[in-house]
Parts: sequence; structure tokens; C-alpha cells
Amino acid sequence: MTTFEHCVRCTLCVENCPVFKVNPAFPGPKQAGPDAQRFRLDGERSVDDWVKLCCQCQRCEVACPYGVNVSEIILKAQLKYSREHMSPFTAHLFANTYHLGKLGALAAPITNAVTSSGAARKVMGVLGLATNLPMPEYRFLTLNRGRRRKGKRRSSRKVVFFHGCYLGFNRPDIGRGIRDLLAGLGCRVAIPRQTCCGLPALGNSDLEIAKKFARKNARMLVEYIDRGYQVVYACTSCGLTLVHDYPEVLELPEGRKIAENTYNVHEVILDLLENDGCSVEFGEVDRTIAYHIPCHLKALGIGYPAAGIFEKVPGLKITVLDDHCCGLAGSYGFKKKNQQTAEKLGTIAASAIKALEPDALISDCGACRMQLGHYTGLPALDPSEVIIASLEKGASKKSRGKRRIP
Amino acid sequence: MSAYGYDAVVIGGGVSGIMASLTLASRGFKTALVSRGDPVCCLSTGCIDVFSHSDEPLGGIRALLPDHPYSLVGEKGIVDSLSFFLEIMGEAGLPYEGDPGRNRKILTPIGSTKNTCLVPRTMAHADMPPGEYLHVISFQGIKDFFPSYITSRHRNSTYSVYDAGVPTTLGIAARFDDASFLDAFITWLRGLEIPLDRVALPAVLGTIDPDSVMEKISRAIGRKVFEIPTLPPSVPGLRLFRALKRVMQNRGIHLYWGKGVTSVECQGRTVEAVTLATTGRAKRVQGRAFVLATGSFVSGGLFAGRDSVRETVFDLPVAAPGERKDWFNTDFFSGAHGIERAGVRVDRDFRPVGAKIDNLFACGSILAECEIMSLQCGHGLAVATGVAAAKSCAQELS
Repeated sequence: MTTFEHCVRCTLCVENCPVFKVNPAFPGPKQAGPDAQRFRLDGERSVDDWVKLCCQCQRCEVACPYGVNVSEIILKAQLKYSREHMSPFTAHLFANTYHLGKLGALAAPITNAVTSSGAARKVMGVLGLATNLPMPEYRFLTLNRGRRRKGKRRSSRKVVFFHGCYLGFNRPDIGRGIRDLLAGLGCRVAIPRQTCCGLPALGNSDLEIAKKFARKNARMLVEYIDRGYQVVYACTSCGLTLVHDYPEVLELPEGRKIAENTYNVHEVILDLLENDGCSVEFGEVDRTIAYHIPCHLKALGIGYPAAGIFEKVPGLKITVLDDHCCGLAGSYGFKKKNQQTAEKLGTIAASAIKALEPDALISDCGACRMQLGHYTGLPALDPSEVIIASLEKGASKKSRGKRRIP
Repeated sequence: MSAYGYDAVVIGGGVSGIMASLTLASRGFKTALVSRGDPVCCLSTGCIDVFSHSDEPLGGIRALLPDHPYSLVGEKGIVDSLSFFLEIMGEAGLPYEGDPGRNRKILTPIGSTKNTCLVPRTMAHADMPPGEYLHVISFQGIKDFFPSYITSRHRNSTYSVYDAGVPTTLGIAARFDDASFLDAFITWLRGLEIPLDRVALPAVLGTIDPDSVMEKISRAIGRKVFEIPTLPPSVPGLRLFRALKRVMQNRGIHLYWGKGVTSVECQGRTVEAVTLATTGRAKRVQGRAFVLATGSFVSGGLFAGRDSVRETVFDLPVAAPGERKDWFNTDFFSGAHGIERAGVRVDRDFRPVGAKIDNLFACGSILAECEIMSLQCGHGLAVATGVAAAKSCAQELS
């Protein structure tokens, strides 16, 4: 158990803080976390409004060699600050991205037309939203509609897919791809009804809403776990919320059980390929791609499992980039007060990508893809899209080969 | 879930662990590196001290006692490992300069000079011939950098202060990454019409491409320019680490970052896997051989209790001098403290002596008798023993 008392003030967290680098108003994780924590007393009103400038990328915590939970200290200080002060309108709005998503998807064509119109963007500006970024588009055929289960039980593996809001409402096509990929590798895949993981609510300091979402998901996930399913996630921020925040921050009684049974989708795929004797053929993908590692994949500490799969794809030239936060940090960059920070960080991360002259970028996180796709002008892909492309090519080569034999 | 199997797993993400993993990967072994956080080298000057206690590094090493880890590597091994380091840094786009046969000087923020061996290009001009004139540039509000410390020690020196709009070294360095900021700075600098020979700045010349920033400034004012390392957070230390990490990733080494090792799985005299304290669920990393590069006390490889010193991952036997009263000298600055000699003793193949494990090798500041503080040989020892231990590990694997 490490606390703020274990900080030796070495400043490694500061060296890794993206916000500190570009926004002089933020004193950095050492001061916002362990240093200031000594003065944060229960019953004492918080005065550190800059604590809200932390984007919760958790790079400080990854860097800390002493295991101090820097970003968790800051998150809890943000929650304390919000309890004691009125939250701005944008915080309420973004805490409820799930409901927005549900509405947005139901009226998808209208939503998309409205959010991209000039008049609407003016209104957004007045409400405190950043207007330099395109808003995410919604899809009518969400992952919650359509088939709930797929795959015969070829391997003994049963997985329940926690797709999260972005794949659910905005990119259900990627979600379906992942479902088919897992099923194709022999898993039995369930996609039950689910709500937001709760991270947007936590990020906007609304603990109650976060707990409400989390409890609902926890009940559903535990039912599956008890029936022998493993939980898989593709969105690394949802994943981190399930394994870290459910037990540690939201203190759900089921939290530990969920954390112990939850896996990144690429960990599962890699395991199927390495250890389950899954025989597939990867076809050539002749592309040069920059792999932008989302901060929350770093924070999970599981390495970069998708990179292990990419190594099997012939012709694919991948460069891993994990030094930069994209700056969007979920809803953080969509707020006007963070617009400059998000823009500067987006530009820094984008120039690191562009320096490699790739023809596309990959990231596990939908928000990273939105932001970096915007700042690089490159196609921004989910890792599964490249894996599927390679497997499809491999499969067609195989079937062609078979035809030739007779 | 069983894990991805590696040939070699290196524990510890400092210079030593990184050099060990690069050596293994360059010999075609599938390598993973696990680290519980960022290494101490991020806080360092970024320079490679091979043996800064004397002017001649190799000469100084020759005079060492035979139980110093450098003697296990040998002179040729040391020189070869340093050229391997130079090659890596060239590949990383952060070239270093220097000669293992002769130390050079860098300037410190208190105006003194310090011996070191290999330096990043931005510090290459810090070794000034006597009598040359120096102009120091500082920044408004910057912490722990007082140019008058330097000018009071160097008779032929003056200074000016620039307002970068932000007082922190990292904040200023991030601004130097931006071409328009650099242009404004250069315009200001030219306006000073510095008549002196060299210009020195705190080490803030960008986080991405410091060499081009330095060259651009140097060309614009027609003077030699160099950086002075600062107190932590240290930009040149961060650059060194990021550059090494980049090469590791380009060479296909898998990194598991931010979580320490909680347990070790052994089968007889063989380590089969380590388990990491991953968020939520422990992650198992399995390998055929392991390299221990967890550092000494500061990095957490060694832990000093009241009366004994312990190795924190494998609980290896630790050689520590006598009793607690023998650990420290009464005068802090009087030279070597006994505790500096504490560490893991290794045989000629860098296998820990007295360990009941065959596929384990150790390198870096965790080694006994290394005395890196008083001999000033931290990074050099890390490079030399990291490469040497990895070579033994490679032999075990093949």
C-alpha cells in the first residue's frame, strides 16, 4: 500500500506530465498530487481549482518508481473539489455521454447534421465547448441492436465483450469486426446490453452517476463471469475503468472479481494464437503505420499486446510511439477551457507521427483516433482493422491454394 | 491466462537493463523488459560517466581493486560496450561524443566543472580551453539555475536573462520544440550582440531534436553553444531515456512498464516466470533466462533494513560490509561510505554468487563493490555490465 507519503519528490512524474509541459497554470502532478495532498483535509474547503486541469492520462503513475498513486490522489482531489463547488454545465453534459450517445444514435442522421452545423457550433462555444474539433458522428445501428451472441464453442473460451460507448454508438462497425474476429478464432462471444463504463462521469467529477453506471455493468458482468466467461474490452479507457476504478475508486463489492477476469481483446487473441493452437494465416499488409499507444493502455501495465500480433503480419511496418498524450483525454479536450492544452498536445503527438511518414495511424482508443486523425489528416485505425485485413487476405490466399490442388 | 513466452526477460528499465535487452535483441533473442517505473537516468545529466574520479577513465579503472565489477568486464569489454552505446545513440537520432581514453569536462549550474566521458552533442562545447570568454543565458524565473554562480567563478563571463513565458525547464524545453518560439529567441539573442567566444544555456534546448536547435542558434550568432545540465527534472536525462526506449521499441523488445515484480516462479534451479503487480490482475511474463538490473537503493533493487541489506526481487544473497556502524562515515563528504559497496556478488558470467538459480544474471548498480557515487561511474558501469551480463545470458540461451 503506497500513499502520498511515499513520494520522494524525484520529479519523474513531472517529466511525464503532458499538461505541465504546455500549460503553466497546472503545477504538475507532484504538486497537484502528493505535495498538495498534505493540505487537503476533510471539512476544509478545497481552493486548488487548478487540480481540474489534470487530464487523468495517468502517465505520472506509470512513471513513478515508488508506486505512488499520483493520478488517483489527483482524481480524488478533483471529486472533492467538485463536491464543494458548483460544476459547470459541460461537466453535467459529459458525465452523461452514454445518454447523449443513446439519443444521438437514435436520431443519427439528424444528430450528425446538427452537431456539424455552424449555428450549433456557435451555441456549443457559448456553453463552454471547444469548437475547433469535429464532434464524433453517431450510427443508428448500434452494437446494442442486432445479434447478441456469436460463435460456436470451438475453443473452450467464452468471452463477454464490453464494447463501451464509442464502439457502441459511434463505430459499431469496428465492434462487429472484433466480435467476428473473436468468433472466428473459436470463441463464443456474448454482447449483452451494457451502459457506459462510468469513466466520463468520473472524469467530470460526478461520482454518483459513475457509480450508477458501474453498478449496472457490474451486476451484468459478474453473472457472465460466474458462468465461465472472460470479460474482454477493446477501448483501453473502459478497460482501465473496469480493472482499476471499479475496485479502487468506486469501491464496488464485485470490483475485484471483475478486475481479475477482465482482459484486453488483444491479450486474448495473442493467447489464442500462441497457446491455444489456433491456426490462422496472416496475409501480407504492405503498409507503414504509426502505432500511437493510448495513455490508458500504458497505465494498464500489460505491455502492448496488439504489437505482439502485428509482428506476425508480413509486410507490416509498425513503429510504436508511447511518449505522447493525444491531448483529447475523453471529454477533456472538448471543453473550451482545455482547448489550448488539447490543441498543443494534439499537435505534438501528431508531429511525432508525421515524422515517420506513415500511411495510417493505429490506436486502441477511439478518442485518440478522433484527435490524431484530425491533427495528422491520416486514416486512424483500430488495431483490429489491420488484423482483420491481414487475416482476410491470408484466408483468401489459403482458399485459392486449395482450389489449385485438384 | 498463460503468457507470451520470451527468450529473455530483463527486470529493470534503467541504462543497464536497456543495454542488456538491446544486446540480447541484437543477437536475435525475443526479449521483454519489465520496469516498475521510469529510471534514475531521467534525473541524471544525460552524460555517461565511465570513471569520473580521475581524468583518465581507463587508467582509473586499471587501478581498481579486482573485485570491482569493471574488472569482470575487462578493458576491451568496456570499450566495446561504449562503442555499442554510441552506435545505439546514433540510431536513436541523439548522437553522443567522447573517447573512453580521456575524460572531458562539462559545466555545472554552480559554475564548477565535472569530469565525464560521453556527452550528448549539446554539451560537446562545454569543455572550454582556459582563457576563452563565456556568455550565459538564463530564463526568467527558472528554478535552481543562477547564472551569477557561474559568472562569479569564471572571470571572463557575463550573462543575460530571457523571458520564455514559463519558468520550468520542461516548459521552456517544450517551447524550444516550436520553431516560432526558437525564431523569437534567436532574434533576441542576436540583438545582444555577444562579443564573447561561447554561449551556454541551461539544458532546455527542446525535447525532440536538441541538436538542430543548438545548431540553428549557433549558426545565427556565429558562436559555439552548449548546454549546462540542470537539477531534476532534467531534460537531457529524459532525452537519453526516451532515445534508448525508442531503439528498444524499434528492435521489437516488448516493454511492460509501471508495475513491479511481485513474485517469482521457479522450477528447481530455473526461473520460469515473474508476475507483475498489474492493475487489477497480475500479469505473468515468462522467459528462458532472466537479467536482473533493478539498481541499488534509490531504484529499489536493494533495500536496507536496520541491520541487513536485502535484494528485493529474488531475495538473493547480498554482500554488505559488516554491521550498520560500518555502513557510513561520520563525515558525509569524506569519500566512500561502506554501504556503497553493498550489493549482489556475481561470478565471471555475471551469475549471482550463492543463488540457487542457474538462468539468472545481474548487472548495473545492484552489483557489489561498484561504489558508483564515490568513483562516479554510474552510467558507464551500467553500459559495460549490462552488455557483458547479456552476452553471458545469450550464451546460456544458445
